[in-house]
Amino acid sequence: MKVRLKRLLFGTSFIWIVWLAVIPAASQTPGARTPVSTARRTADGKPDLNGIWQALNTAAWDIQDHTGQSGVPPGQGVVEGNEIPYQPWAAAKKQENFANRMTADPTEANCYLPGVPRATYMPFPFEIIQTPTYVAISYEYAHALRPIALDGSPHPEGLPGTWMGDSRGRWEGNTLVVDVRNFNDQTWFDRAGNFHSDELHVVERYTSTDPDHIFYEATIEDPKVFTRPWKISMPLYRRVEKNAKLLEYECVFYLQEERFKNAPFKK
Amino acid sequence: MKSRFFRVASIVTAVIAIVTLVGFVPSQAQAPAASAARTADAAKSWTPPRTADGQPDIQGFYARNGIQGLAANAPDNPIDPGEKNPLSVSNRPDGLGPYPRVFGEGAVRGAPPAQRRALGIVDPPNKILPWRPGEDEKRREFLSKMNPAADLQHVELNSRCALPGLFVSYNPYQILQRPGSMVILSEYNHYTRVIHLDGRPHLGKNIRLFMGDSIGHWEGNTLVVDTTNFNKTAYSREIPYLSDALHTIERFTPVDAKTIDYEITVDDPKLFTKAWKSLVISPGPKKERRSWSSPAPKAVKRL
Repeated sequence: MKVRLKRLLFGTSFIWIVWLAVIPAASQTPGARTPVSTARRTADGKPDLNGIWQALNTAAWDIQDHTGQSGVPPGQGVVEGNEIPYQPWAAAKKQENFANRMTADPTEANCYLPGVPRATYMPFPFEIIQTPTYVAISYEYAHALRPIALDGSPHPEGLPGTWMGDSRGRWEGNTLVVDVRNFNDQTWFDRAGNFHSDELHVVERYTSTDPDHIFYEATIEDPKVFTRPWKISMPLYRRVEKNAKLLEYECVFYLQEERFKNAPFKK
Repeated sequence: MKSRFFRVASIVTAVIAIVTLVGFVPSQAQAPAASAARTADAAKSWTPPRTADGQPDIQGFYARNGIQGLAANAPDNPIDPGEKNPLSVSNRPDGLGPYPRVFGEGAVRGAPPAQRRALGIVDPPNKILPWRPGEDEKRREFLSKMNPAADLQHVELNSRCALPGLFVSYNPYQILQRPGSMVILSEYNHYTRVIHLDGRPHLGKNIRLFMGDSIGHWEGNTLVVDTTNFNKTAYSREIPYLSDALHTIERFTPVDAKTIDYEITVDDPKLFTKAWKSLVISPGPKKERRSWSSPAPKAVKRL
């Protein structure tokens, strides 16, 4: 009996060795140093980030540690080291922004697009649309939209900066890395007045850890405002409700109705 | 008996291994070309390539879709009487621009004659919109109060950066497809339409949206999109407002490698006595990347 079994295994061993070697390699990224994501995979073998996601923290109010106060939930910060390395002039400017935040916040007070990374942690969901050649992130807040080319093309030069910047992406193992440049200086990082210049450069990393979580990191650099690059990080949670979809938060339209409904129009 | 057992076992193992390995080889899904008759048919009804989940692949960048002559008796645009400004870009000190046409602005210049089919309103055939009694007069009066705007309600919605409601492509747009949905990314007003193909129901009636709620399904090579839950702001150049009873059915059909037919059925029982239909063609898709921050010089020249 034992001899028969041994012969059977030996005789078919070549097949088993090939089978066991090929199947795992066909489903994992070779050479990945991070743990293999258990997320579903797309047709081109990448973690499937398609779907609706949302941050669950209070970074929208203040990206650093902050105590609760009326209308502001308390929160532990998302800034690694909890320190934002402002140049001295910029630290003073931040304090001024904070003092004036109820009217000076370009997004909360005036409905300008929230910029990057603020759009990620606004208290609204966003949707990742992913194909092998293109990724786009569509935000429920003010229908902000970031198309992200994956074709290795460079940022365009000589164009005016924008609120959401210009995004170029690539995959590194289970991580979608997005390089963002070409910003204007018209966004803040939160409601607390943290700000940047038009030389802002953000590198985001969306790392799939499992089907329903992304670990999000953003490295921020701006030589006009900060003394060195700094980083924020947070988990993102998949909105797993059945039939979840983005709705509309048409901030600009609401503001117009509020401000101009009964305003006299010039003849 | 022993050796036969081993032979059978080896063969069975080999078959299992080979079948599993073959599963990892991307399958070439096309059936072999057959007769001359079938080839001739293929030339008439073009077969688009397929996405990984079997949708006809219409991904790529599309130019502005434009036609002239929407309705037989369209009123003058109050902000651009005589329609001297086909691009609807404001050149006025007060920043107002002409109300863009939803079903086109300017002609699709450069489209080969073979691609020019009946465009604009195709139903009713006389191109006269079937307004309910009194509604045409109301909307013409509304248009007359738009320049100068009498109040906020009469400011053209395009100038208020409202989402247009009806699918428009003043600027180029991009179509992406992934399993379970087709997605339109619009450069105009940077909006996204995610059209779910999973048979889910529409949203409850108390959620109203500028772009409505779109659910789609493929019928052969045609994507049929059913949209409800509009708020009262869907608009176009000739029709400054549609109602919250609006219901549209759009049909996107790739007719060849360079053209998509786009037909929309507009059913708004508060304003019209029956549904009406408009057809435009959209050149594309182009696969090459273009920058979103700048207008594509080629497309502007062509159109």
